[in-house]
Amino acid sequence: MSQTISSTKRSGGMLSNENRRKITWMLFLLPALVIYLTFMAGPLFDSLRLSLYQGEGYTPTKFVGFQNYIDLFTNPLWRGKFFGAVRHTFIFFGIHMVAQNSLGLLFANLLSSDFKGRNFFRTIIFTPATLSVLVTGFLWTLILNPNWGAVNKILVAMDLREWALPWLGRENLALPVISLTSVWQWVGMPTVMFLAGLMGISDELLEAARIDGASEWDIFWKIKFPLLKPIIGIVAILTFVDNFNAFDVIYAMAGARGEPSYSTDLLATLFYRTGIAGEHPVGIPNMGMGAAIATVTFLILMAGVLLWLYLSRQQAAEEA
Amino acid sequence: MRRIKLNQALAYILLTIWSVIVLFPLWTLIINSFKPQKEIFKDPFGFPKDFTFDGYIAAWKTGRFDVYFTNSLIVTVLSLTLILLVGSMAAYALAKWKSPAANFLYVFFIAGLMIPIRLGTIDLVRLIKALNLQDTIWSLIPVYVAMGMPIATFVLTAFIKELPSEMFDAAKVDGASEWQIYSRIVLPLMRPALATVAIFNMIKIWNDFWFPLVFIRSEESRTVALGVSLLFGQYRTDWTRALAVLSLAAVPLLILYVLLAREFIKGLTAGAVKG
Amino acid sequence: MKKLFAMLSVLVLVSMMLASCGSPAPAATEAPAAATEAPAATEAPAATEAPTVAEEVTLTLGSWRVDDVAAWEVITAAFHEEYPNITVKFDPTNPPDYNATLRTQLETGTGPDLYFVRSFATGRELFDAGYVASLKDLPGISDAFTEASRAPWATETGEPYAVPIIAVSHGVYYNKDIFAANGIEIPTTWEELMVASQTLLDAGVIPFANGTKDAWDINEVVMMQYIPSNIGGYEGRMAYLNGERCFNSEEMVASFQQIADMKPFLPTGFEATSYYDAEQLFAQGQAAMMLDGSWSIGAFEKDATDFEWGVFYPPALEGKDQYVTFHIDAAIGANAASPNLEAAMTFLEWLESPTFAELLGNNLPGFFPLTKDAPTLSDPIAADFMAFNSAAAGVDIRFVWEKLLAAPSGNVDAYTSLNNNVIAVLKGEKTPQEAADAFNADLAAWYEPAAACK
Repeated sequence: MSQTISSTKRSGGMLSNENRRKITWMLFLLPALVIYLTFMAGPLFDSLRLSLYQGEGYTPTKFVGFQNYIDLFTNPLWRGKFFGAVRHTFIFFGIHMVAQNSLGLLFANLLSSDFKGRNFFRTIIFTPATLSVLVTGFLWTLILNPNWGAVNKILVAMDLREWALPWLGRENLALPVISLTSVWQWVGMPTVMFLAGLMGISDELLEAARIDGASEWDIFWKIKFPLLKPIIGIVAILTFVDNFNAFDVIYAMAGARGEPSYSTDLLATLFYRTGIAGEHPVGIPNMGMGAAIATVTFLILMAGVLLWLYLSRQQAAEEA
Repeated sequence: MRRIKLNQALAYILLTIWSVIVLFPLWTLIINSFKPQKEIFKDPFGFPKDFTFDGYIAAWKTGRFDVYFTNSLIVTVLSLTLILLVGSMAAYALAKWKSPAANFLYVFFIAGLMIPIRLGTIDLVRLIKALNLQDTIWSLIPVYVAMGMPIATFVLTAFIKELPSEMFDAAKVDGASEWQIYSRIVLPLMRPALATVAIFNMIKIWNDFWFPLVFIRSEESRTVALGVSLLFGQYRTDWTRALAVLSLAAVPLLILYVLLAREFIKGLTAGAVKG
Repeated sequence: MKKLFAMLSVLVLVSMMLASCGSPAPAATEAPAAATEAPAATEAPAATEAPTVAEEVTLTLGSWRVDDVAAWEVITAAFHEEYPNITVKFDPTNPPDYNATLRTQLETGTGPDLYFVRSFATGRELFDAGYVASLKDLPGISDAFTEASRAPWATETGEPYAVPIIAVSHGVYYNKDIFAANGIEIPTTWEELMVASQTLLDAGVIPFANGTKDAWDINEVVMMQYIPSNIGGYEGRMAYLNGERCFNSEEMVASFQQIADMKPFLPTGFEATSYYDAEQLFAQGQAAMMLDGSWSIGAFEKDATDFEWGVFYPPALEGKDQYVTFHIDAAIGANAASPNLEAAMTFLEWLESPTFAELLGNNLPGFFPLTKDAPTLSDPIAADFMAFNSAAAGVDIRFVWEKLLAAPSGNVDAYTSLNNNVIAVLKGEKTPQEAADAFNADLAAWYEPAAACK
């Protein structure tokens, strides 16, 4: 690398300053771009094209124009499945956004001051994230089991028998319950990121506020929170993108059909069932429709991210 | 002073409650990996009456989990190193190169997060086959590095943009090249952000079993996640064995996390750049 | 703008670079010549031993039966003994991902030499796409198997493309100790079964362990066990497939009614009781009965050791004849692109032999070989399952498998519709009549012979 740099330097005489800078930046970008294009963006964008085709298997060959999109929005079955999945995905994302990130912020704030056992608690909060989703699924299914699960046993022991519900079997309960187990697993992530932000805030600033008699509550909302805004933005966008493509936890706890009765079906499970695995038990994939679902999901996400970028630039401009 | 004590007590209470919520399932995981299958469902939360190491022993006898662990470690560590190196270079350019091209590429990199990766499987398998990498662990690394690019560029670019611009100006006045600024100033300051990116990606890479599933056939090249998937039967799963392996599978990640977290805190206290 | 243009040209350059190194891939997979380079890995061991034996080959056998590695090692070892030049390596994929992985491998030319082929639509689609080799020249296949056994893997003209190996049966596993303690005999009519269930419930025992969390089991091992006796087995099923009966006929309503009858006898929280939970409820002696498949013999022999248990077939409604669901489930086919096709055919031919049938039936109790001359089964429960067949008025495959599994895009297939409606009845969302009507409406929308039923 250093050789390349020095060679550009040597040839500096031939190139304008502007062009030389451009080449330098491109050299910085090149390795990432080549790998990303070859092994991710290329195959992915190439496959989005399949949404214009119909046929069986992963490389359908019959060109049908926008027919898959038309079916997706007009055929009652597809429309029902698709908008059901969109709704569930928003609920799933919303629960993460509120529960996971508020808990993360709370934990990060608690962990940002120095006290005994801090490292222990920090590691504990993060530990579930190291587990395979298969484990999380197994453990929580066991704990929530209607026959021998701990939750219902405790409820019965507390004489709350009517609260001992089949948590994963009711259409109105399964999605929130699975979302919360996912929050349980991933809350360490926003905690880590918020902690990074909070530890960057200088102690003198906080000390000064304390001496002025500000309460911890005021310090959090008036000093820490505004300074955390950029990180909150990043965490929010990662939560958005991550949960809009969430698949594993539903697959592990509710299967590819989003049981019970599709009530936990997300966009990613719908995509998987349609384009990759095919409906049980026949299992013939419909990649054209799968790609159409993926494309629409992509457009929703892209709109969200561009909006976020626009707003954050606006805000940056205002602050400057 | 008293108020601080009260806050401290409140913090302990809240953190302890959460710890119980975390530790109870973990306890369930560990104890059940030492129970015979029958007892897991008869008494899921009690201490094993019929203590057994069968799960751990069987995992090694029927699958070569020592090989799988080595493979997973090699793949994860190499992929992470490349993600951090390549990603941070790109992020530096994306953050500091003021041009529409950089803006476009920034969005282009993030776009990869928004499409389910399984969609590109067929193209990737063909590519891996053309590169003659199929059935080796090396087939996984380029795919994982590429998969890591969106998060790496997104988080690292945001971080570099937050660094005070005076720092860069001062370095430029001293005649430092971009490469020198990147390697001597930005990279050391980026520790916390790099650790965050590493943590995010290591979990995805370690637990992914889709690509091993489609790229790899031979036993010598299997990863832990792929080996684990073969413990889940059509109608039944040997949970004693599955839980034993899955408990062990979390250990390297936990160690990596502790190491990264230490690195991360070090970075934060060393370079208190914000204020 | 100029910069953006420069940037884009770099992108184009890079992608051209990639295209040039990537392009051989698709070309190679489409050309039949690719087959020779694909399984290089499998040929490698043969190459190293080349000096001693010239034509030694290793074949890989893909399967969704992760559970049966040990049994298949015994089976393939026996084959190897007979054919020392050929080694078959059983290489299963986890079941939910089997179809997807196999298809990826076949489409990219990295598939196994031999693989398990699913019945009817799924396997047929692979054959039509050219991935599974025709077996019209395989010697002995017509003699070894009945037409009914071959049909799930044969074209309309009878051209076979996979060797049928496994059938599964279904029944009610029951706890003999609980039955004895409550003075219950094996019921001979549905009505008796319901009376017995009430007795058990009153005694504080869960009558049936079954639940609906996983959805498929209530459909495949419960509903599809009830249907044949109500509709009159194979002939009855044909009446639906030919359009002579509508899918909401009184026989179908009666089947949904049986589901509704069962509801009070399922575990509390049956909505969240998975297939596996149900097996555990039975194995722990908490539930007196479970409707389940013959494939669970091995699991119960391992887990349900604290009490005596057996199987009986769910009795028909009073006055109806008993028909049994004996489902032809799996076959093995050869990868049409395999470079070792000849060796693969040798293996397929061996699957017709009594040696294989005997090895399969006795190493995997509950999975029944399909050869005409069935071997004697050493496992007593497996033998009991076989006895259902001879005692019944007739034997048939599961109701929806033939012709009704694959609906055109935008329509609900029979499997999914039946599954949804059975669960709706159990949850009290639909009456049996409403469920049957909904089932009929879903099918009439696309299954042509049923068009008049709309």
